[in-house]
Amino acid sequence: MRLLTATVKTVRQSHRLAAGLVILTLMVLLAVLSPVLVDAIGKGTDPIELAAYEKWLVPSADHLLGTDQYGRDVLAMVISALSVSLQIGAIAGVISTVVGVVVAFVAGYKGGWVDGVLSTFTGILLVIPTFPLLIALSAYAKNVSLFQVGVMISIFSWPFAAKTIRSQVLSLRSRPYVDLARVSKARDLEIIATELLPNLLPFIGVGFASSALGAIFGLVGLEVIGLGPGGVIDLGQIIFNAINTGALTLGAWPMFVVPIVLLTLLFAALNMINIGLEEVYNPRLRGVAGE
Amino acid sequence: MTATAPPAETVVGESAESAPSRGGRAWLARHPLAAYALRRFGLYLVELWGALTIAFFFFRMIPGDPIQTLIQTLQQNYVYNQQASEEIIERYRHEFGLDGNIFSQYLKYMENLILHGDLGPSLLNYPTPAQDVIMHSLPWTIGLLGVAAVMSWILGLVIGAIAGWRRGKLGSTITTNLSIALAHVPFFFVALILVYVFAYTLGMLPARSAYDSAISPGISADFIGSVLKHALLPGFSIMLIGTFGWILSTRMLMVPVLGEDYLVYAEAKGLKPWRILTRYALRNCYLPQVTAFGISLGFIFNGNVLVEQLFNYPGLGTTLVTAIQQLDFNTIIGVTDIAIFSVLTAVLLLDLLLPLLDPRVKYWK
Repeated sequence: MRLLTATVKTVRQSHRLAAGLVILTLMVLLAVLSPVLVDAIGKGTDPIELAAYEKWLVPSADHLLGTDQYGRDVLAMVISALSVSLQIGAIAGVISTVVGVVVAFVAGYKGGWVDGVLSTFTGILLVIPTFPLLIALSAYAKNVSLFQVGVMISIFSWPFAAKTIRSQVLSLRSRPYVDLARVSKARDLEIIATELLPNLLPFIGVGFASSALGAIFGLVGLEVIGLGPGGVIDLGQIIFNAINTGALTLGAWPMFVVPIVLLTLLFAALNMINIGLEEVYNPRLRGVAGE
Repeated sequence: MTATAPPAETVVGESAESAPSRGGRAWLARHPLAAYALRRFGLYLVELWGALTIAFFFFRMIPGDPIQTLIQTLQQNYVYNQQASEEIIERYRHEFGLDGNIFSQYLKYMENLILHGDLGPSLLNYPTPAQDVIMHSLPWTIGLLGVAAVMSWILGLVIGAIAGWRRGKLGSTITTNLSIALAHVPFFFVALILVYVFAYTLGMLPARSAYDSAISPGISADFIGSVLKHALLPGFSIMLIGTFGWILSTRMLMVPVLGEDYLVYAEAKGLKPWRILTRYALRNCYLPQVTAFGISLGFIFNGNVLVEQLFNYPGLGTTLVTAIQQLDFNTIIGVTDIAIFSVLTAVLLLDLLLPLLDPRVKYWK
């Protein structure tokens, strides 16, 4: 309950944070409801099935966004693709945040040579260009599933999270209240869970949002080269179908425009949450950073 | 930072030549800057070694037999039509550094790389060495990316500073919110929209390749004009998104500075606002941005693969994708190595130079 009121208070401090959260919530809602919505669009039949309708129908009352080269309803495709894109963001976001948090706490809290080894390793992973590795992985891991792509992406995105959180752990570790807890003989794990973790939640949130962004971008990027996971349609795939089939010249512009708009909106929402959280929790930016 | 990996020990031994070995510790204690530089250089070598090693093992663990691929290609091209004999396959394995177990391959690869700067032959363009293949595409990438990256950095710094300076004004609010919305949009979204508008709808600019194939490459006005024209769309799509990112981070650095006392003092002295902005405020936020720029060079490379793919631009990204499709290990690892080397070296140089540029920066005790 205390956490809830604190959250509400935080959100009210920043319009950007609030706006980002509202957009994101709407999108998640759309994604969660996607099976129901797709059903409603199909009116009993599966609108994403091949040849469900005529090919290349222009947008009309029946098909708000028209149909694609196989006669699938574009609106239904976009809705279910949005849920796929959000899923990959969530999978990779959770994995890399968890790994990042563990590494950051061990490194930041233990210090000494443990910190040295972990930080050097994190630094090394940070400079390896991810995208070539990702292309290589998915090119040769045949029939990868969505979850596997998520895992592959998070292998390379946890160092970012770890780096941001570690520097915060370092600054928090020497605060008086942590010393007080240590003097009162609290165990390390206890201090981490009760004293440090709650204060780091906003930074963990920032780490999660950037990892999720990176993962969605990574998957869309893989689709450009035609190396996405098999059997799933994400927003990137719709865009590149539109390009490869010349949908633009056939009047099927929604296939191209709608996914790009949705993805841009998603990027903007996650970015607003990032910046909003930073504004709220970085006292130096508070006040002046607002309009 | 403690040196942990074995190469670090040898590194320290080697670089000790520059410092007198007797009483070296005392000498270093008296010269903290030199001690810092040495330690920083040692860390650089450890990181370089670690990253190159991870990249090597990562790519070698991908399943698939490149030699079979090569022989199939040769057979398809009728270079020879009978079944390849064991002996020939063995020779190729040796040639490409694929014989023996992975650890001996690794040692041989590192030896060739460090002692001879040799990446081994490229599978795609056998027998051309991989480094020659890479050097062939590198100028295109550097030309396109280097210019786009520098321009977006300068533009972002200037616009971001002004947006921070004039915060609360309508123009500044619009710029800031636009940057927030667009700073993390992938490069190729912009690329797609630009191609759609300028290449397909208006037909003003070419959408593919680096120059008009009807013009023969050389130092002529026609050729240079064609290269510039072809670089316009991919360059602009990289630049646009990059600029938004720099605007955002510059503004974030700029705004806290604005409340500082020395700015109030400068204002009280009656200095012109432009002078205060450039001489006082901007100076304090451009150094962190210099560091960020060095680090960003490597990450631009990630997105660049896609932009080059989309525009069919003959740079490193396109070379990389083709190489991965053909399992051309030496070229793949070579491209990755170049990216790793450039980021780490850029960051090292910046770390060593910053204390000289900014008297407030002190890494040593």
